[in-house]
Amino acid sequence: MLTCKEQVAHSSDFLDGQLTFRERLMMRHHLMFCPNCRRFIRQMRLMQATLRLMPQAPVQDADALAERLAAERRKDQ
Amino acid sequence: MAAADDAHLLERLLKGEQRAYKELVTQYQSAMRAVAYAIVGQRHADEVVQDAWLSVVRNLAKFEGRSSLKTWLLTITANAAKGRYKQNRREVLLDDLPSPHGTIGDERFTPDDGHWAVAPFAWHQDTPEALLTEDELRKCLEHTLLNLSELQSSVLVLRERQGLELEEICNLLTLSLSNVRVLLHRARLKVFATVEHFEETGEC
Repeated sequence: MLTCKEQVAHSSDFLDGQLTFRERLMMRHHLMFCPNCRRFIRQMRLMQATLRLMPQAPVQDADALAERLAAERRKDQ
Repeated sequence: MAAADDAHLLERLLKGEQRAYKELVTQYQSAMRAVAYAIVGQRHADEVVQDAWLSVVRNLAKFEGRSSLKTWLLTITANAAKGRYKQNRREVLLDDLPSPHGTIGDERFTPDDGHWAVAPFAWHQDTPEALLTEDELRKCLEHTLLNLSELQSSVLVLRERQGLELEEICNLLTLSLSNVRVLLHRARLKVFATVEHFEETGEC
């Protein structure tokens, strides 16, 4: 049986699909019996989704850069 | 982006259509910057991205669609970064800086049996949308991301925000899979600790 500490240590690999079949079973087994670790994994997923959704800084001077690149391309033709 | 969309955009890029370049820049520059940032650091990342853009324009006709446009752009960026600043390559790959709200470290577990000593605090919000309505938390997260080491934050951004596979990150940054896994895990636990701290105290 995994300890909670080991569960946390393996959590990223679990979320990224990097565990072996056996490790994944051990993880699922632990989660089945441990509400604290279920909460931890659920909140890790929530944290991932939050990062994905976080607005990114808009690109500075996208218009000027696009103009320069398009001109560069036309020059090459 | 699907291959058909890539092909259509490429056609317009080859014609030198300015609006197509705007789309390209808007869509991909953040990911390119994250790659540059990981390899050469904050100080040179912008120059590398500029170099990469010029190289993209010059090599556009050679893009054959064997990879996605995004992968191709990121590979050019990584090469621009490695070529120009080889000597600046981060020496300490796994440098681990302290984070504003710590991490989920050993002290959270009992030393004898590895159970939670301080269980994870239940967050009030259960959707990312709800979490992000809190302006303060958003700023707090940005602050934590800025305080990660350059490699940790780039790997996290490339994985979570840009949705790259671990293998792609390894190839772009010339890191081993085990290093990428360690970097990603440490970064996530720090961000987790930040959200937990915010949910528990209501402040950053």
